[in-house]
Amino acid sequence: MIALSGLLPSRGSSARTLNGVCLLMIGGALLALIGADIQLYSVDPWQELSRIGLGLLQPGWRDFPTLLEAVGQTVAFALLAVALAAPLGLLLATVFHWLPVRLLCAALRSVHELFWGLIFMQLYGLSATTGLLAILVPFTGVFAKVFAEIFEQQSPEPARTVPPAAGGLKRHLYTLIPQSWPALVSYTRYRFECALRSSAILGFIGLPTLGFHLETAFKQGQYSEAGALLWAFLLLIASIRFWLRPRLIPLYLLAALWLLPETIGFSNGGYLWQFISSDIWPAAVRAGEWGAALDWYAMMFNEQLWPGLVQTLLLTQIALVLSGVVVLATYPFASRALAGPVLRWPGRFLLLVLRSTPEMVLAFVFLLLFGPSGLPAVLALALHNGGLIAFLVANDSDAERNGPHARPDDPKGLMRYAYIETPRRFPALLALLFYRWEVILRESAIMGILGIATLGFYIDSAFEEIRYDRAFLLIAVTALLNMLVDSLSRRLRRLARSDRAGLLSRRH
Amino acid sequence: MSFLRRFLALALLLPALARADTFVFTAIPDEDESRLQQRFGKVADYLSDRLGVEVQYIPVKSYAAAITAFRNNQVQLAWFGGLSGVQARRLVPGSEALAQGYEDQFFKTYFIAHASAGVEPADQLSDSLRGKTFTFGSKGSTSGRLMPEFHLREQFGEAPQKIFSRVGFSGDHSRTIAQVQSGAYQIGAVNYSVWESELAQGKIDPDKVRVIWTTPSYPDYQWTIRGDVDGRFGDGFKERVRRAMLELNDPELLASFPRQRFVPASNSDYAPIEATAKAIGLLDD
Amino acid sequence: MTDRTGSSAVLFQLARQSLSYGEQRVLDDITLTIRHGEKVALLGPSGAGKSTLLNLLYRQQPECSAWQPQGGGLVDLLSVYQNIFIGALDRVGSLPALWNLLCPLPAHRRAIEALAQLLGLQEKLWQSADRLSGGQRQRVAIGRALYRQQPVFLGDEPVSSVDPLQAEALLKHLLEKHETAVVSLHNRQLALDHFDRVVVLRDGRICCDCPASELNAARLDEFYQQPDSPAYERPEPASEGWVIRTS
Repeated sequence: MIALSGLLPSRGSSARTLNGVCLLMIGGALLALIGADIQLYSVDPWQELSRIGLGLLQPGWRDFPTLLEAVGQTVAFALLAVALAAPLGLLLATVFHWLPVRLLCAALRSVHELFWGLIFMQLYGLSATTGLLAILVPFTGVFAKVFAEIFEQQSPEPARTVPPAAGGLKRHLYTLIPQSWPALVSYTRYRFECALRSSAILGFIGLPTLGFHLETAFKQGQYSEAGALLWAFLLLIASIRFWLRPRLIPLYLLAALWLLPETIGFSNGGYLWQFISSDIWPAAVRAGEWGAALDWYAMMFNEQLWPGLVQTLLLTQIALVLSGVVVLATYPFASRALAGPVLRWPGRFLLLVLRSTPEMVLAFVFLLLFGPSGLPAVLALALHNGGLIAFLVANDSDAERNGPHARPDDPKGLMRYAYIETPRRFPALLALLFYRWEVILRESAIMGILGIATLGFYIDSAFEEIRYDRAFLLIAVTALLNMLVDSLSRRLRRLARSDRAGLLSRRH
Repeated sequence: MSFLRRFLALALLLPALARADTFVFTAIPDEDESRLQQRFGKVADYLSDRLGVEVQYIPVKSYAAAITAFRNNQVQLAWFGGLSGVQARRLVPGSEALAQGYEDQFFKTYFIAHASAGVEPADQLSDSLRGKTFTFGSKGSTSGRLMPEFHLREQFGEAPQKIFSRVGFSGDHSRTIAQVQSGAYQIGAVNYSVWESELAQGKIDPDKVRVIWTTPSYPDYQWTIRGDVDGRFGDGFKERVRRAMLELNDPELLASFPRQRFVPASNSDYAPIEATAKAIGLLDD
Repeated sequence: MTDRTGSSAVLFQLARQSLSYGEQRVLDDITLTIRHGEKVALLGPSGAGKSTLLNLLYRQQPECSAWQPQGGGLVDLLSVYQNIFIGALDRVGSLPALWNLLCPLPAHRRAIEALAQLLGLQEKLWQSADRLSGGQRQRVAIGRALYRQQPVFLGDEPVSSVDPLQAEALLKHLLEKHETAVVSLHNRQLALDHFDRVVVLRDGRICCDCPASELNAARLDEFYQQPDSPAYERPEPASEGWVIRTS
């Protein structure tokens, strides 16, 4: 069959399957709405909210060198991690058809950076190694997957004119890699922005990046400092294209190496073996008491795994569909073709704020507004992810504005939105959404402050209680769930016959 | 194993082995975590003067991270909460509680309620709490989690999740106050010293939020040191650290914790905390 | 099927081969033998299954065939030189191949410069393929096939985008350089002029397979006409040479 699909033109996408997939997702979300923990509480948030607003409007930071250092280290971690993860991902992508590689990559990317950070912290203490690996490991998995998908989208024709005796390496070098090069580069650029976010977020567990100070300031209600940090981060992200020049990258890498924080104290990494052989297994298993071990697993299943799984899936489903709504509602305001060259700037700014503000901050603001339930979580996830996808979709629209499909007599305004832009973007939009499904699943770990017991909540608790046996089991289950969702979304994407690599390749 | 370790060290860019003769400590104060490096850098200087070795401070974000660093021997001395100290000493045999803050001998937790919750201050927690929304502080906190959960279970005979319609973890005492004050949660459990200091700073509106119950006192924060420091830094090192702590009287340094002064402590002082943690299932036997 | 070349070795053989994609039958009961030394033109209306058939043939002899697919299979980011060089990848080691991406290997450079001269691409040798016109791209693809230096040529409309005069010259050159060739064409006159055997496909079936000498333009036209389309009544002008019509 594989041979056949290469031989024959594939059938075109049909709006009907696309609509079917959408209806299925929306139906799922409506069903989830019944089961999910969503409630409204009457609250009195204005005192706190006005303080937050004031802090954002009057950002203040007394200690400028510390701020600069935090920005520098945020960039350093992101840059080095991407510089290592992208080539590794490229290597893995060339053997991605091999099932064990696919499973390995799925496992790597199914664990949130924060949890990788917590795991590596057991091994390498609070050090640059921990921070680097926490980004590097999941990103390698993501790169491998997306690069393999980009490869998949390339025409197989050039490879088929290569002499069969030339072998895989030369064939890839002369066909697949140059064919997909623009897409690879543009995806890596995009991923660098994600790495900056991850790097900042890793501050939450103690790395000296922006998140370190942001979490403190926010937690302690020092909103003008939090505002300053948030603005600094937004500025950093918004200005990437001005300072990330290919020619300067070697220089940046050297600077990043130099900027990495010095490890304070002696961390011998010697707990690796103990961690693998003992820490992550329940006492009963270590002692070989299988009856007690079974009890332990049954307890974990009944008290944490099952309820966590249900809540996670329900919230994820709602957040996913809501993200789609956010995308459709916001992307036109950032698109040159729809909003015009000037008016799109406020739209782009909104999307920048949405995708760059850590979900934790968004969730906290909504918690103040609506009280503790699934609602703030769903809103935070939907706005953050919706903002991100809308940004990509708007870029795609901009890139295609003068493309081969553009006609001078294309309609304008709302009609253009309804008849030209949205139908054209829709398959890619759906594909990005399915891809974010995994991400939303991982991000559900932030729900602890909302009193919603998702899998991420239990994982966080397990680390906090120094119960690595529980953490390991929960992470393993989350990883399995992620792999399942991944393969499901892969199938749905095929159904929708999407074109994400195309989208990404056209972005720059 | 040693080959593998060396290989991993190289392969994973394991940070240069920092000077092994540096004495490193960490501390997370129960309030105001800003500018930790500057504030505790001064404590490091004081200790360095007193101990005659290089002393460095490493900031951490959570008790879990502090415990991990303590266990990995990245830090040899840590300012732990009651519960995290117990957890750390269980993981590192031979480690000892050296000193605690004067206030930590009789620490308390306040249960606070938003005015609209209609809960009156009383001698004990009443059934009027049932069905309300409730938030703890951080999951690993003694005053924000362990003790309030213990008293809830004791007085209601049920898990908090059964008593309240919703149980959250704000992650921090200041957050707990902000969330209850805004009505996002109706009830909260908060470290009394954070409450008192925010009250003094005028951050709390007494019309909106008030204390409804105070727990009996319990021991909390303490300095814990690894058992192997004498071997590494010379005989009697542990005692010198203890003396340095007890004789610390610079108000500026003490304000970082914030404590009046430090008083002696021992592992057995924290037996009640350990028993409580076991009773509510936070520690395994 | 007649055996006209006597005892030459059989290169390609299909026996009652059918191929479907979903509901759609693309090849239906194809029986075909091609021997060493034959020059076969493959004709038929669009969608008749010519490309599919050529693909099947290529799969039978990938090692000794120079294959030129319809799109040419160019790599946009690579220069004309590199695109032609791909044909020689089996003759160079991995390291030289890697080096050649950065700095052309002198021997290949000379050979490809000569080839580019022949193809009229000498001016474009260092341009990336995405900057070329359709006809230039097709000539690069021909260059790659020639640089494969194999005895068999399989081409799917190899000269369709090149201007008519040049097309004829290039086709002639391709046929000279390869002992055996199977080429799909839409220009019927080219088929009659330069090939010794013509196979006509229609709706996935072979409806004619005979020496070119037994055919003429008018007879070939009949195979293209659709019994159920209005064009059936109105014969195609013979001079036009190709048909653009979909069923």
